[in-house]
Amino acid sequence: MQTNIRTWIFAAVGLALTFGTASGQDTVKIGLLAPTKSLVGKQIVQGGQLAADLINADGGILGSRKVELVVYDTAFQPNEGVAAAQRLIDQDGVKVIAGEISSTVALAVLQVARASGTLFIAAVPKHPDLTNSGYDRVFRMNSTTAMDSEFETVLRDQIKPTKVAVLVENSDFGRLTIDNLKKLFGPKVVLAETYEMNQSDFSTLVTKAKASGADLVCVAGSNMEQYGAILRMEAEFQMQATRCVMPGVLNSRGVTIAGKGAEGTVSADIYVPTLNNPLNQRFVAAYQAKFKETPEKVEEVSFESVWLAAKAMDKAGTATDTSKIAEVLRANTWVSPRGEVKFDNTGQASSGPLIRLTVENGRLVPAK
Amino acid sequence: MDLIAQQLVNGLSAGVAYALVALGLTLIFGVLHVINFAHGELYMLGGLVTVIACNLLGVPYLVTLVLAPVIMLVVGVGLDKLAIGPLLDRRDGLSDVVLSTFAVSLLLLDLVLAVVGPAPERVEGLSGVLILGPVIISHQRLFVIVLGFILIAGLDAMLRYSRFGIEMRAAAQDRFAAEAVGIDVNAIGTRTIMLGAAIAGIAGALLVPVTQFTPLMGQNVVIKAFVVVVIGGMGSVPGAVLCGVGLGLIEALVNIRFSEGMTTAIIYSLLLVGLLMRPQGLFGRAAR
Repeated sequence: MQTNIRTWIFAAVGLALTFGTASGQDTVKIGLLAPTKSLVGKQIVQGGQLAADLINADGGILGSRKVELVVYDTAFQPNEGVAAAQRLIDQDGVKVIAGEISSTVALAVLQVARASGTLFIAAVPKHPDLTNSGYDRVFRMNSTTAMDSEFETVLRDQIKPTKVAVLVENSDFGRLTIDNLKKLFGPKVVLAETYEMNQSDFSTLVTKAKASGADLVCVAGSNMEQYGAILRMEAEFQMQATRCVMPGVLNSRGVTIAGKGAEGTVSADIYVPTLNNPLNQRFVAAYQAKFKETPEKVEEVSFESVWLAAKAMDKAGTATDTSKIAEVLRANTWVSPRGEVKFDNTGQASSGPLIRLTVENGRLVPAK
Repeated sequence: MDLIAQQLVNGLSAGVAYALVALGLTLIFGVLHVINFAHGELYMLGGLVTVIACNLLGVPYLVTLVLAPVIMLVVGVGLDKLAIGPLLDRRDGLSDVVLSTFAVSLLLLDLVLAVVGPAPERVEGLSGVLILGPVIISHQRLFVIVLGFILIAGLDAMLRYSRFGIEMRAAAQDRFAAEAVGIDVNAIGTRTIMLGAAIAGIAGALLVPVTQFTPLMGQNVVIKAFVVVVIGGMGSVPGAVLCGVGLGLIEALVNIRFSEGMTTAIIYSLLLVGLLMRPQGLFGRAAR
């Protein structure tokens, strides 16, 4: 019996190896980093996977070579991110890394990429330093917190708060948001609190926000489990303050988690799935067909990070010369689901005006 | 003042949750002297049963409070037969169990992630909130506090007065002497693991409407539960309850003045000081 099982295991492993190497031949590997055990990580993986699928369906790149995605978990931890990036470069021979959401992780990965000359196209991380490092082979698809400042002006001029509470995740993105809002509102910021990335009870946080007497509560966190739960607690504690989720993180899943706490929340983003252009329509339809969900910003920027990596390799005529691929990325205007994208000298992607969003009857819609 | 009152209620609600998760852990340690690293995942599975029953099968929430512990009894048997029981008699059995339960924990977590996915799920528990002057508490949180204390009292009574409870305490005190008077300590061990799993299951079912379900919920809570068990005295039920509730309250009060990260640092400093001064925990017996 025992030998029987062993034989089967060996056979299965052998089979897997055979197929693995067979399909591994002549593919172009692109690394994808994401906190895969979280929902937002799953969205990144799915967005990236769809890009590879569509490119392969179109006949591949560099003379019909297929794109193969190699995905590793970063678990929101910089040390995990460094280990994953190292593994991609050393073991998998990857030259281009895409994906990721956490700025803290991305800043750590940047050092590894820089040391090995790897091209890094970050999907979601928002910290400006990522593209201010002077490294010529780092790119970012999402808007930065600095680019989102027009939304902060809207908060100041249209909502006109007298007291502001800021609740953010304990990350570079969160702390930067506190700095930005303190600069904008000065002493009107009566409470600035961070929560941990693995926290699940927010009653204390919301109690403090309520006690602060704030009439505007701004939340910044990439994890929808968490900001959704905070919005829900605000409703449970019957807070009358205007609820705001800082640009680029609110999505329909978070709205569902927040329940009636999401109603009337103000936010903004660079992408909505209803944009009217052929690639976006193809992207949304293919995503819905494959994953039975409608893609939003995170899925879109992750898609872009893999899509543009592959397109640039194709155009540059190389899958290994990262300097040349970077040059091609910067020199051209690219078509993506959000429309046209250009990169500036630092590697930051352009974005159109922020689209203001709100929640009406449990649905995330563009604000009127 | 209003803030302190509200924080006391918040802390009580969090503390009862810590106590419920820590209870099963400390019971198993008390009787078998093993650390069950899969305990957080048992709690998570209790939550998952509730999610599946309520959201997919339309079972009323209150029914799942019975369903979850019953299913976890069965999981407990499996855990004992596969990962704890067969290892205990080995020479390094106790440390082997640490590894085997850790393996079970990873297995369960990755299994749930693979089958259900990482998406968080909400379960509607009891709706509505209770407003007492400046203090607001949702009915579900109130329910967790009340039912939590009823469960704790019931468990305490069972340990004191029922035959199983007495045998369990005998096996915990002295395995050899318990065997000598005819107690089947292996069967007691199995039943203790089942009981621990059932308590973890009901804790998961109770708390999932408060914290929502995610596959990582067990990992997030089990560290605090370990702290509670260690400070309370490994194996001590009153220790786990008092320290769980105490931890919740101290956390909430410290949090009024300090940030979340700072509060955690203060709590762990207290743990370190506590361990230096009383290595056996507040309610534990000193090793002879």
